[in-house]
Amino acid sequence: MTALTLNHVNKTFGKGIAKVEALKDVNFSADQGEMTLILGPSGSGKSTFLTIAGSLQTPTDGEVLINGDDLRHLSAKKREQLRLNHLGFVLQSYNLVPYLTVKEQFKLVDKVKKSGNLSASQLDDLLKLLGIDQLVNKYPDQLSGGQNQRVAIARALYPNPEIILADEPTAALDSAHVEEVGKLFAQLAHTQNKAVVVVTHDLRLKDYADKIFNITDGVISREK
Amino acid sequence: MFLALKEIKHEKLRYGLVISMVVLISYLIFILTSLAQGLGSQNTAAIDTWNIKQVVLNKDSDINMRQSFLTTQQVDQLHQGKNDAVIGQAAVVAKHSDLPQISATFIGIKPTQFIYKDMKVIKGHKPLTDRQLVVDSSFETKGYKLGQWVKLNSLNQKYQIIGFVKNAKINISPIAYGRLSAWKTISNLNPNLAANALITRSKHYKVTDNNLKAYSVSAFINNLPGYTAQNMTFEFMIGFLMVISLIVIAIFLYIITNQKLPNYAVLRAQGVPAKTLVISTIMQSLILVVSGILIGALLTWITSLVIPAAVPMTFNVPVLSAVAAGLVLTSIIGAILPVRTIMKIDPVKVIG
Repeated sequence: MTALTLNHVNKTFGKGIAKVEALKDVNFSADQGEMTLILGPSGSGKSTFLTIAGSLQTPTDGEVLINGDDLRHLSAKKREQLRLNHLGFVLQSYNLVPYLTVKEQFKLVDKVKKSGNLSASQLDDLLKLLGIDQLVNKYPDQLSGGQNQRVAIARALYPNPEIILADEPTAALDSAHVEEVGKLFAQLAHTQNKAVVVVTHDLRLKDYADKIFNITDGVISREK
Repeated sequence: MFLALKEIKHEKLRYGLVISMVVLISYLIFILTSLAQGLGSQNTAAIDTWNIKQVVLNKDSDINMRQSFLTTQQVDQLHQGKNDAVIGQAAVVAKHSDLPQISATFIGIKPTQFIYKDMKVIKGHKPLTDRQLVVDSSFETKGYKLGQWVKLNSLNQKYQIIGFVKNAKINISPIAYGRLSAWKTISNLNPNLAANALITRSKHYKVTDNNLKAYSVSAFINNLPGYTAQNMTFEFMIGFLMVISLIVIAIFLYIITNQKLPNYAVLRAQGVPAKTLVISTIMQSLILVVSGILIGALLTWITSLVIPAAVPMTFNVPVLSAVAAGLVLTSIIGAILPVRTIMKIDPVKVIG
Protein backbone atom coordinates (compact mmCIF):
# COMPACT_ATOMS: atom_id res chain seq x y z
CA MET A 1 0.00 0.00 0.00
CA THR A 2 1.31 3.43 -0.95
CA ALA A 3 1.82 5.57 2.14
CA LEU A 4 3.45 8.64 0.62
CA THR A 5 3.06 10.08 -2.87
CA LEU A 6 4.49 13.20 -4.47
CA ASN A 7 3.10 14.10 -7.90
CA HIS A 8 4.75 16.76 -10.05
CA VAL A 9 6.07 18.58 -7.01
CA ASN A 10 8.08 21.74 -7.56
CA LYS A 11 9.61 23.97 -4.90
CA THR A 12 11.08 27.34 -5.68
CA PHE A 13 12.76 29.75 -3.28
CA GLY A 14 13.37 33.43 -4.01
CA LYS A 15 12.58 35.48 -7.09
CA GLY A 16 14.37 36.85 -10.15
CA ILE A 17 18.12 36.45 -10.06
CA ALA A 18 17.93 34.87 -6.56
CA LYS A 19 15.45 32.23 -7.69
CA VAL A 20 16.42 28.69 -6.71
CA GLU A 21 14.52 25.63 -7.89
CA ALA A 22 15.03 23.22 -5.00
CA LEU A 23 12.75 20.52 -6.40
CA LYS A 24 11.86 20.06 -10.06
CA ASP A 25 8.84 17.99 -11.10
CA VAL A 26 9.36 15.38 -8.42
CA ASN A 27 7.34 12.20 -8.74
CA PHE A 28 7.82 9.77 -5.92
CA SER A 29 6.00 7.13 -3.93
CA ALA A 30 6.90 5.10 -0.86
CA ASP A 31 5.09 1.94 0.08
CA GLN A 32 4.49 0.39 3.46
CA GLY A 33 6.76 -2.58 4.07
CA GLU A 34 9.60 -0.98 2.12
CA MET A 35 12.70 0.97 2.97
CA THR A 36 13.31 3.68 0.41
CA LEU A 37 16.63 5.44 0.19
CA ILE A 38 17.09 8.86 -1.39
CA LEU A 39 20.73 9.51 -2.10
CA GLY A 40 22.19 12.84 -2.96
CA PRO A 41 25.00 15.23 -2.11
CA SER A 42 24.63 18.32 0.05
CA GLY A 43 22.47 21.00 -1.59
CA SER A 44 20.75 18.54 -3.90
CA GLY A 45 17.31 19.17 -2.38
CA LYS A 46 17.16 16.19 0.01
CA SER A 47 16.04 18.14 3.05
CA THR A 48 13.53 20.18 1.04
CA PHE A 49 12.12 16.89 -0.24
CA LEU A 50 11.89 15.54 3.32
CA THR A 51 10.20 18.63 4.77
CA ILE A 52 7.64 18.70 1.96
CA ALA A 53 6.99 14.97 2.31
CA GLY A 54 6.66 15.51 6.05
CA SER A 55 4.09 18.32 5.66
CA LEU A 56 6.42 20.85 7.28
CA GLN A 57 6.35 23.07 4.22
CA THR A 58 4.17 23.28 1.17
CA PRO A 59 5.33 22.80 -2.42
CA THR A 60 5.17 25.68 -4.90
CA ASP A 61 3.00 23.36 -6.97
CA GLY A 62 2.16 19.71 -7.24
CA GLU A 63 0.41 17.40 -4.81
CA VAL A 64 1.54 15.49 -1.73
CA LEU A 65 -0.58 12.61 -0.48
CA ILE A 66 -0.08 10.96 2.90
CA ASN A 67 -2.16 7.83 3.31
CA GLY A 68 -4.30 9.22 0.51
CA ASP A 69 -4.91 12.63 2.16
CA ASP A 70 -3.98 15.53 -0.09
CA LEU A 71 -2.02 17.98 2.11
CA ARG A 72 -3.28 20.95 0.10
CA HIS A 73 -6.71 20.40 1.61
CA LEU A 74 -5.55 20.17 5.21
CA SER A 75 -5.38 23.09 7.65
CA ALA A 76 -2.20 23.77 9.62
CA LYS A 77 -3.78 22.12 12.67
CA LYS A 78 -4.79 19.02 10.68
CA ARG A 79 -1.28 18.78 9.27
CA GLU A 80 0.04 19.02 12.84
CA GLN A 81 -2.25 16.14 13.88
CA LEU A 82 -1.21 14.17 10.82
CA ARG A 83 2.45 14.53 11.80
CA LEU A 84 1.67 13.53 15.36
CA ASN A 85 -0.35 10.46 14.40
CA HIS A 86 1.14 9.17 11.17
CA LEU A 87 4.71 10.45 10.75
CA GLY A 88 7.88 9.73 12.68
CA PHE A 89 10.90 11.98 12.18
CA VAL A 90 14.45 10.83 12.80
CA LEU A 91 16.83 13.74 12.48
CA GLN A 92 20.54 14.05 11.98
CA SER A 93 21.11 15.94 15.23
CA TYR A 94 18.86 13.67 17.36
CA ASN A 95 17.29 16.66 19.11
CA LEU A 96 16.17 14.81 22.15
CA VAL A 97 14.83 17.06 24.89
CA PRO A 98 18.02 17.52 26.96
CA TYR A 99 16.32 17.70 30.34
CA LEU A 100 14.27 14.53 29.96
CA THR A 101 15.58 11.03 30.62
CA VAL A 102 15.14 8.41 27.92
CA LYS A 103 12.01 7.15 29.71
CA GLU A 104 10.61 10.68 29.97
CA GLN A 105 11.09 11.31 26.22
CA PHE A 106 8.34 8.71 25.69
CA LYS A 107 6.25 10.12 28.54
CA LEU A 108 6.25 13.45 26.73
CA VAL A 109 4.77 11.76 23.67
CA ASP A 110 2.07 10.29 25.93
CA LYS A 111 1.25 13.82 27.14
CA VAL A 112 0.48 15.09 23.64
CA LYS A 113 -0.77 11.89 21.99
CA LYS A 114 -3.02 10.17 24.44
CA SER A 115 -3.72 6.96 22.50
CA GLY A 116 -2.30 4.73 19.78
CA ASN A 117 1.23 4.77 21.15
CA LEU A 118 3.20 1.56 21.71
CA SER A 119 2.23 -0.40 24.80
CA ALA A 120 4.73 -0.72 27.67
CA SER A 121 5.73 -4.21 26.54
CA GLN A 122 6.07 -3.11 22.90
CA LEU A 123 8.27 -0.22 24.03
CA ASP A 124 10.39 -2.63 26.10
CA ASP A 125 10.81 -4.85 23.04
CA LEU A 126 11.77 -1.85 20.90
CA LEU A 127 14.31 -0.64 23.45
CA LYS A 128 15.80 -4.14 23.66
CA LEU A 129 15.93 -4.34 19.89
CA LEU A 130 17.79 -1.03 19.81
CA GLY A 131 20.03 -2.09 22.68
CA ILE A 132 19.08 0.86 24.86
CA ASP A 133 16.84 -0.87 27.40
CA GLN A 134 19.46 -0.34 30.12
CA LEU A 135 19.65 3.40 29.45
CA VAL A 136 16.08 4.47 30.29
CA ASN A 137 17.09 6.62 33.26
CA LYS A 138 19.93 8.39 31.47
CA TYR A 139 19.82 11.95 30.13
CA PRO A 140 20.89 12.59 26.50
CA ASP A 141 24.16 14.18 27.61
CA GLN A 142 25.05 10.91 29.38
CA LEU A 143 24.75 8.92 26.13
CA SER A 144 27.08 8.45 23.18
CA GLY A 145 26.16 9.74 19.70
CA GLY A 146 25.07 6.26 18.59
CA GLN A 147 22.97 5.75 21.73
CA ASN A 148 21.33 9.14 21.26
CA GLN A 149 20.49 8.32 17.66
CA ARG A 150 18.92 5.03 18.71
CA VAL A 151 16.86 6.81 21.38
CA ALA A 152 15.75 9.35 18.74
CA ILE A 153 14.69 6.45 16.50
CA ALA A 154 12.78 4.86 19.39
CA ARG A 155 11.07 8.16 20.12
CA ALA A 156 10.06 8.52 16.47
CA LEU A 157 8.64 5.00 16.50
CA TYR A 158 6.87 5.24 19.85
CA PRO A 159 3.72 6.95 18.49
CA ASN A 160 3.52 3.98 16.10
CA PRO A 161 3.55 5.98 12.84
CA GLU A 162 3.00 4.31 9.47
CA ILE A 163 5.66 6.46 7.83
CA ILE A 164 9.18 7.11 9.09
CA LEU A 165 11.13 9.98 7.57
CA ALA A 166 14.81 10.00 8.41
CA ASP A 167 17.20 12.83 7.60
CA GLU A 168 20.88 11.77 7.50
CA PRO A 169 20.33 9.39 10.42
CA THR A 170 23.86 7.96 10.18
CA ALA A 171 25.77 11.23 9.85
CA ALA A 172 27.21 11.01 13.35
CA LEU A 173 27.66 7.24 13.52
CA ASP A 174 30.62 4.95 13.02
CA SER A 175 30.46 2.02 10.60
CA ALA A 176 29.26 -0.46 13.21
CA HIS A 177 26.36 1.78 14.14
CA VAL A 178 25.58 2.57 10.50
CA GLU A 179 25.08 -1.13 9.94
CA GLU A 180 22.94 -1.34 13.08
CA VAL A 181 20.70 1.55 11.97
CA GLY A 182 20.46 0.24 8.40
CA LYS A 183 19.36 -3.15 9.65
CA LEU A 184 16.89 -1.61 12.04
CA PHE A 185 15.18 0.53 9.38
CA ALA A 186 14.95 -2.47 7.04
CA GLN A 187 13.58 -4.58 9.86
CA LEU A 188 10.97 -1.94 10.75
CA ALA A 189 9.84 -1.82 7.13
CA HIS A 190 9.71 -5.55 6.69
CA THR A 191 8.44 -6.80 10.04
CA GLN A 192 6.28 -3.87 11.14
CA ASN A 193 5.04 -2.81 7.72
CA LYS A 194 6.33 0.75 7.99
CA ALA A 195 7.10 2.96 5.04
CA VAL A 196 10.65 4.04 5.79
CA VAL A 197 12.10 6.91 3.75
CA VAL A 198 15.72 7.80 4.44
CA VAL A 199 17.42 10.78 2.80
CA THR A 200 21.18 10.55 3.03
CA HIS A 201 24.49 10.82 1.26
CA ASP A 202 25.75 7.70 3.07
CA LEU A 203 26.22 5.01 0.43
CA ARG A 204 26.69 2.39 3.15
CA LEU A 205 22.92 2.30 3.63
CA LYS A 206 22.31 1.09 0.08
CA ASP A 207 22.67 -2.53 1.18
CA TYR A 208 19.52 -2.30 3.32
CA ALA A 209 17.20 -0.41 0.95
CA ASP A 210 14.41 -1.93 -1.11
CA LYS A 211 14.19 1.07 -3.44
CA ILE A 212 16.86 3.66 -4.15
CA PHE A 213 16.37 7.11 -5.65
CA ASN A 214 19.03 9.61 -6.56
CA ILE A 215 18.47 13.31 -6.21
CA THR A 216 20.63 15.88 -7.99
CA ASP A 217 19.86 19.58 -8.32
CA GLY A 218 16.26 18.98 -7.31
CA VAL A 219 15.64 16.25 -9.84
CA ILE A 220 14.79 12.82 -8.48
CA SER A 221 15.28 9.59 -10.38
CA ARG A 222 14.99 5.92 -9.54
CA GLU A 223 18.22 3.97 -9.55
CA LYS A 224 18.13 1.01 -11.87
CA MET B 1 3.60 21.56 33.31
CA PHE B 2 5.49 18.29 32.72
CA LEU B 3 8.15 19.94 30.57
CA ALA B 4 8.30 23.00 32.86
CA LEU B 5 8.91 21.01 36.04
CA LYS B 6 11.33 18.55 34.44
CA GLU B 7 13.45 21.34 33.04
CA ILE B 8 13.61 23.21 36.36
CA LYS B 9 14.53 19.97 38.14
CA HIS B 10 17.29 19.19 35.65
CA GLU B 11 18.70 22.72 35.26
CA LYS B 12 18.89 23.48 38.98
CA LEU B 13 21.70 26.03 38.78
CA ARG B 14 20.24 28.05 35.91
CA TYR B 15 16.74 28.18 37.36
CA GLY B 16 18.10 28.59 40.88
CA LEU B 17 19.74 31.80 39.69
CA VAL B 18 16.50 32.98 38.08
CA ILE B 19 14.60 32.25 41.31
CA SER B 20 17.32 34.05 43.33
CA MET B 21 16.86 37.10 41.13
CA VAL B 22 13.09 37.05 41.73
CA VAL B 23 13.70 36.55 45.48
CA LEU B 24 15.92 39.63 45.62
CA ILE B 25 13.55 41.77 43.55
CA SER B 26 10.47 40.71 45.54
CA TYR B 27 12.31 41.10 48.87
CA LEU B 28 13.41 44.60 47.91
CA ILE B 29 9.90 45.55 46.78
CA PHE B 30 8.32 44.07 49.94
CA ILE B 31 10.76 45.92 52.21
CA LEU B 32 10.29 49.21 50.34
CA THR B 33 6.51 48.78 50.44
CA SER B 34 6.64 48.05 54.18
CA LEU B 35 8.84 51.10 54.72
CA ALA B 36 6.45 53.26 52.67
CA GLN B 37 3.52 51.87 54.66
CA GLY B 38 5.34 52.37 57.95
CA LEU B 39 6.31 55.94 57.23
CA GLY B 40 2.87 56.64 55.79
CA SER B 41 1.16 55.32 58.89
CA GLN B 42 3.44 57.34 61.15
CA ASN B 43 2.17 60.40 59.33
CA THR B 44 -1.47 59.52 59.72
CA ALA B 45 -1.75 57.01 62.59
CA ALA B 46 -3.53 59.44 64.92
CA ILE B 47 -5.79 60.76 62.17
CA ASP B 48 -6.73 57.17 61.36
CA THR B 49 -7.67 56.48 64.99
CA TRP B 50 -9.79 59.64 65.11
CA ASN B 51 -11.73 58.29 62.11
CA ILE B 52 -12.54 61.77 60.85
CA LYS B 53 -13.94 62.83 57.48
CA GLN B 54 -13.31 66.57 57.42
CA VAL B 55 -11.06 69.21 58.97
CA VAL B 56 -12.19 72.83 59.36
CA LEU B 57 -9.28 75.25 58.98
CA ASN B 58 -8.62 78.86 58.39
CA LYS B 59 -8.89 79.54 54.64
CA ASP B 60 -5.47 81.17 54.55
CA SER B 61 -3.69 78.33 56.31
CA ASP B 62 -2.66 76.47 53.14
CA ILE B 63 -4.46 73.42 54.60
CA ASN B 64 -1.87 73.25 57.35
CA MET B 65 -3.16 72.87 60.88
CA ARG B 66 -0.19 74.62 62.44
CA GLN B 67 -0.81 77.69 60.28
CA SER B 68 -4.54 77.74 61.00
CA PHE B 69 -5.88 79.69 63.95
CA LEU B 70 -9.50 79.90 65.01
CA THR B 71 -10.61 82.74 67.24
CA THR B 72 -12.83 82.24 70.25
CA GLN B 73 -15.69 83.84 68.35
CA GLN B 74 -15.22 81.51 65.36
CA VAL B 75 -15.07 78.44 67.57
CA ASP B 76 -18.21 79.50 69.42
CA GLN B 77 -20.06 79.85 66.13
CA LEU B 78 -19.03 76.39 64.91
CA HIS B 79 -21.45 73.55 65.54
CA GLN B 80 -19.84 71.15 68.04
CA GLY B 81 -21.85 67.98 68.24
CA LYS B 82 -20.83 64.49 69.33
CA ASN B 83 -18.92 63.95 66.05
CA ASP B 84 -16.97 67.21 66.22
CA ALA B 85 -13.94 68.28 68.21
CA VAL B 86 -11.84 71.43 68.37
CA ILE B 87 -8.11 70.85 68.71
CA GLY B 88 -4.94 72.81 69.14
CA GLN B 89 -1.61 71.59 67.83
CA ALA B 90 1.86 72.68 68.95
CA ALA B 91 5.38 71.42 68.31
CA VAL B 92 7.04 70.58 71.63
CA VAL B 93 10.21 69.01 72.94
CA ALA B 94 9.61 66.79 75.94
CA LYS B 95 12.50 66.80 78.40
CA HIS B 96 13.51 64.91 81.49
CA SER B 97 16.94 65.19 83.01
CA ASP B 98 17.61 61.41 82.96
CA LEU B 99 16.06 60.62 79.60
CA PRO B 100 16.53 61.53 75.93
CA GLN B 101 14.59 64.51 74.65
CA ILE B 102 11.66 63.72 72.40
CA SER B 103 10.37 65.98 69.65
CA ALA B 104 6.62 65.61 69.86
CA THR B 105 3.36 67.20 68.84
CA PHE B 106 1.12 68.47 71.59
CA ILE B 107 -2.56 68.03 70.76
CA GLY B 108 -4.90 70.00 73.00
CA ILE B 109 -8.38 68.49 73.30
CA LYS B 110 -11.59 69.06 75.21
CA PRO B 111 -12.73 66.38 77.68
CA THR B 112 -16.31 66.77 76.46
CA GLN B 113 -15.48 65.88 72.84
CA PHE B 114 -14.97 62.62 70.95
CA ILE B 115 -11.16 62.48 70.81
CA TYR B 116 -11.01 62.49 74.58
CA LYS B 117 -14.01 60.22 74.99
CA ASP B 118 -12.84 57.62 72.44
CA MET B 119 -9.20 57.66 73.52
CA LYS B 120 -8.02 54.09 74.24
CA VAL B 121 -5.45 54.41 77.01
CA ILE B 122 -3.31 51.25 77.21
CA LYS B 123 -1.77 52.25 80.52
CA GLY B 124 -2.86 54.83 83.10
CA HIS B 125 -5.83 57.13 82.56
CA LYS B 126 -7.01 60.16 80.57
CA PRO B 127 -5.85 63.67 81.55
CA LEU B 128 -7.95 65.18 84.30
CA THR B 129 -6.12 68.48 84.77
CA ASP B 130 -4.23 71.04 82.69
CA ARG B 131 -0.90 69.57 83.82
CA GLN B 132 -1.52 65.98 82.76
CA LEU B 133 -0.54 64.25 79.51
CA VAL B 134 -1.39 61.04 77.73
CA VAL B 135 1.48 60.26 75.38
CA ASP B 136 2.29 57.89 72.55
CA SER B 137 3.70 54.50 73.57
CA SER B 138 7.03 55.42 71.89
CA PHE B 139 7.69 57.59 74.99
CA GLU B 140 7.60 54.42 77.06
CA THR B 141 10.07 52.61 74.76
CA LYS B 142 12.45 55.53 75.31
CA GLY B 143 12.26 55.11 79.06
CA TYR B 144 9.47 57.49 80.08
CA LYS B 145 7.19 56.13 82.79
CA LEU B 146 3.74 56.77 84.22
CA GLY B 147 3.74 59.47 86.85
CA GLN B 148 6.93 61.05 85.53
CA TRP B 149 7.05 64.84 85.28
CA VAL B 150 8.43 66.32 82.06
CA LYS B 151 9.16 69.80 80.81
CA LEU B 152 7.78 70.94 77.48
CA ASN B 153 9.96 73.36 75.52
CA SER B 154 11.36 76.07 77.75
CA LEU B 155 8.31 76.45 79.89
CA ASN B 156 8.85 76.54 83.61
CA GLN B 157 5.90 74.38 84.54
CA LYS B 158 6.09 70.61 84.34
CA TYR B 159 3.54 68.15 83.01
CA GLN B 160 2.87 64.69 84.34
CA ILE B 161 2.58 61.61 82.10
CA ILE B 162 -0.52 59.83 83.35
CA GLY B 163 -1.28 57.54 80.38
CA PHE B 164 0.04 55.88 77.23
CA VAL B 165 -1.82 55.35 73.96
CA LYS B 166 -0.89 53.36 70.88
CA ASN B 167 -0.59 54.72 67.33
CA ALA B 168 -0.66 58.34 68.48
CA LYS B 169 1.56 59.81 65.76
CA ILE B 170 1.08 62.64 63.33
CA ASN B 171 3.60 63.65 60.68
CA ILE B 172 6.03 61.03 62.09
CA SER B 173 5.97 62.84 65.42
CA PRO B 174 4.64 61.18 68.63
CA ILE B 175 1.66 62.93 70.18
CA ALA B 176 1.28 64.22 73.71
CA TYR B 177 -2.44 64.68 74.38
CA GLY B 178 -3.41 67.32 76.93
CA ARG B 179 -6.16 69.77 77.67
CA LEU B 180 -6.97 72.46 75.09
CA SER B 181 -6.43 75.02 77.87
CA ALA B 182 -2.85 73.72 78.29
CA TRP B 183 -2.30 74.13 74.53
CA LYS B 184 -2.96 77.86 74.96
CA THR B 185 -0.28 78.07 77.62
CA ILE B 186 2.26 76.02 75.66
CA SER B 187 1.67 77.97 72.45
CA ASN B 188 1.78 81.30 74.25
CA LEU B 189 -0.84 82.70 71.92
CA ASN B 190 -3.01 85.75 71.82
CA PRO B 191 -5.84 85.05 74.32
CA ASN B 192 -8.37 85.61 71.56
CA LEU B 193 -7.24 82.41 69.77
CA ALA B 194 -9.11 79.28 70.83
CA ALA B 195 -7.92 76.40 68.59
CA ASN B 196 -6.13 75.41 65.39
CA ALA B 197 -8.92 73.41 63.85
CA LEU B 198 -12.19 71.61 64.21
CA ILE B 199 -12.17 68.00 63.15
CA THR B 200 -15.35 66.15 62.37
CA ARG B 201 -16.63 62.69 61.55
CA SER B 202 -19.35 64.27 59.45
CA LYS B 203 -18.93 64.11 55.68
CA HIS B 204 -20.80 67.34 55.05
CA TYR B 205 -19.92 69.71 57.89
CA LYS B 206 -21.45 73.10 57.29
CA VAL B 207 -19.22 76.15 57.73
CA THR B 208 -20.87 79.56 57.66
CA ASP B 209 -17.82 81.68 58.45
CA ASN B 210 -16.28 82.93 55.19
CA ASN B 211 -12.78 82.79 56.67
CA LEU B 212 -13.03 79.09 57.46
CA LYS B 213 -13.31 76.09 55.17
CA ALA B 214 -14.01 72.38 55.64
CA TYR B 215 -11.43 70.23 53.87
CA SER B 216 -11.68 66.50 53.24
CA VAL B 217 -9.39 64.42 55.42
CA SER B 218 -7.52 63.16 52.32
CA ALA B 219 -6.80 66.76 51.24
CA PHE B 220 -5.63 67.49 54.78
CA ILE B 221 -3.36 64.39 54.87
CA ASN B 222 -1.91 65.12 51.44
CA ASN B 223 -0.91 68.56 52.70
CA LEU B 224 0.89 67.24 55.76
CA PRO B 225 4.46 68.55 55.40
CA GLY B 226 6.51 66.11 53.30
CA TYR B 227 3.78 63.45 53.17
CA THR B 228 2.95 63.59 49.45
CA ALA B 229 6.60 63.96 48.41
CA GLN B 230 7.57 61.00 50.56
CA ASN B 231 4.73 58.81 49.27
CA MET B 232 5.40 59.74 45.68
CA THR B 233 9.08 58.93 46.12
CA PHE B 234 8.21 55.45 47.35
CA GLU B 235 5.53 54.97 44.70
CA PHE B 236 8.02 55.88 41.97
CA MET B 237 10.69 53.63 43.45
CA ILE B 238 8.31 50.67 43.67
CA GLY B 239 6.87 51.44 40.23
CA PHE B 240 10.32 51.63 38.64
CA LEU B 241 11.34 48.43 40.40
CA MET B 242 8.25 46.72 38.98
CA VAL B 243 9.10 47.92 35.48
CA ILE B 244 12.76 46.95 35.87
CA SER B 245 11.76 43.52 37.19
CA LEU B 246 9.42 43.12 34.20
CA ILE B 247 12.29 43.90 31.82
CA VAL B 248 14.78 41.67 33.66
CA ILE B 249 12.35 38.75 33.90
CA ALA B 250 11.31 39.19 30.26
CA ILE B 251 14.96 39.23 29.11
CA PHE B 252 15.76 36.11 31.12
CA LEU B 253 12.73 34.27 29.77
CA TYR B 254 13.49 35.42 26.24
CA ILE B 255 17.08 34.14 26.44
CA ILE B 256 16.01 30.85 28.04
CA THR B 257 13.24 30.39 25.44
CA ASN B 258 15.62 31.15 22.58
CA GLN B 259 18.02 28.50 23.86
CA LYS B 260 15.19 25.97 23.73
CA LEU B 261 14.04 26.79 20.20
CA PRO B 262 15.88 23.90 18.45
CA ASN B 263 14.18 21.43 20.80
CA TYR B 264 10.84 23.13 20.40
CA ALA B 265 11.29 23.05 16.62
CA VAL B 266 11.75 19.28 16.70
CA LEU B 267 8.74 18.89 18.97
CA ARG B 268 6.72 21.05 16.58
CA ALA B 269 7.94 18.91 13.65
CA GLN B 270 6.70 15.86 15.49
CA GLY B 271 3.27 17.42 15.87
CA VAL B 272 3.46 18.78 19.42
CA PRO B 273 1.03 21.73 19.34
CA ALA B 274 2.47 25.22 19.85
CA LYS B 275 -0.16 25.66 22.59
CA THR B 276 1.50 22.93 24.68
CA LEU B 277 4.88 24.66 24.41
CA VAL B 278 3.39 28.10 25.16
CA ILE B 279 1.55 26.81 28.25
CA SER B 280 4.75 25.09 29.37
CA THR B 281 6.71 28.34 29.04
CA ILE B 282 4.11 30.38 30.93
CA MET B 283 3.75 27.73 33.64
CA GLN B 284 7.51 27.63 34.03
CA SER B 285 7.61 31.40 34.49
CA LEU B 286 4.83 31.20 37.05
CA ILE B 287 6.58 28.44 39.00
CA LEU B 288 9.82 30.45 39.04
CA VAL B 289 8.20 33.73 40.02
CA VAL B 290 5.79 32.31 42.60
CA SER B 291 8.65 30.34 44.22
CA GLY B 292 10.81 33.49 44.24
CA ILE B 293 8.01 35.59 45.73
CA LEU B 294 7.28 33.00 48.44
CA ILE B 295 10.94 32.95 49.46
CA GLY B 296 10.99 36.78 49.29
CA ALA B 297 7.89 36.85 51.54
CA LEU B 298 9.56 34.45 53.96
CA LEU B 299 12.65 36.69 54.13
CA THR B 300 10.38 39.72 54.67
CA TRP B 301 8.62 37.90 57.52
CA ILE B 302 11.98 36.99 59.11
CA THR B 303 13.04 40.64 58.72
CA SER B 304 9.86 41.78 60.45
CA LEU B 305 10.80 39.61 63.45
CA VAL B 306 14.32 40.96 63.83
CA ILE B 307 14.03 44.56 62.69
CA PRO B 308 14.34 47.15 65.52
CA ALA B 309 11.08 48.79 66.60
CA ALA B 310 12.57 52.20 65.77
CA VAL B 311 12.54 51.40 62.04
CA PRO B 312 9.22 52.65 60.72
CA MET B 313 8.04 49.56 58.86
CA THR B 314 4.53 48.19 58.66
CA PHE B 315 4.07 44.68 57.30
CA ASN B 316 0.56 44.95 55.96
CA VAL B 317 -0.38 41.52 54.59
CA PRO B 318 -3.17 42.66 52.20
CA VAL B 319 -0.91 45.39 50.74
CA LEU B 320 2.06 43.02 50.38
CA SER B 321 -0.25 40.40 48.81
CA ALA B 322 -1.38 43.00 46.28
CA VAL B 323 2.27 43.82 45.51
CA ALA B 324 3.00 40.07 45.13
CA ALA B 325 0.02 39.75 42.77
CA GLY B 326 1.43 42.69 40.80
CA LEU B 327 4.77 40.88 40.53
CA VAL B 328 3.06 37.69 39.33
CA LEU B 329 1.14 39.71 36.75
CA THR B 330 4.40 41.37 35.69
CA SER B 331 6.01 37.96 35.23
CA ILE B 332 3.08 36.70 33.17
CA ILE B 333 3.54 39.71 30.89
CA GLY B 334 7.26 38.88 30.77
CA ALA B 335 6.46 35.26 29.93
CA ILE B 336 4.04 36.22 27.18
CA LEU B 337 6.72 38.20 25.31
CA PRO B 338 8.58 35.09 24.01
CA VAL B 339 5.27 33.40 23.09
CA ARG B 340 5.36 34.97 19.64
CA THR B 341 8.80 33.42 19.08
CA ILE B 342 7.44 29.99 20.02
CA MET B 343 4.39 30.41 17.78
CA LYS B 344 6.65 31.35 14.87
CA ILE B 345 9.08 28.44 15.25
CA ASP B 346 9.82 26.96 11.85
CA PRO B 347 10.73 23.26 12.21
CA VAL B 348 12.12 23.35 8.67
CA LYS B 349 15.06 25.43 9.92
CA VAL B 350 16.13 22.59 12.22
CA ILE B 351 15.75 19.92 9.58
CA GLY B 352 16.82 21.88 6.55
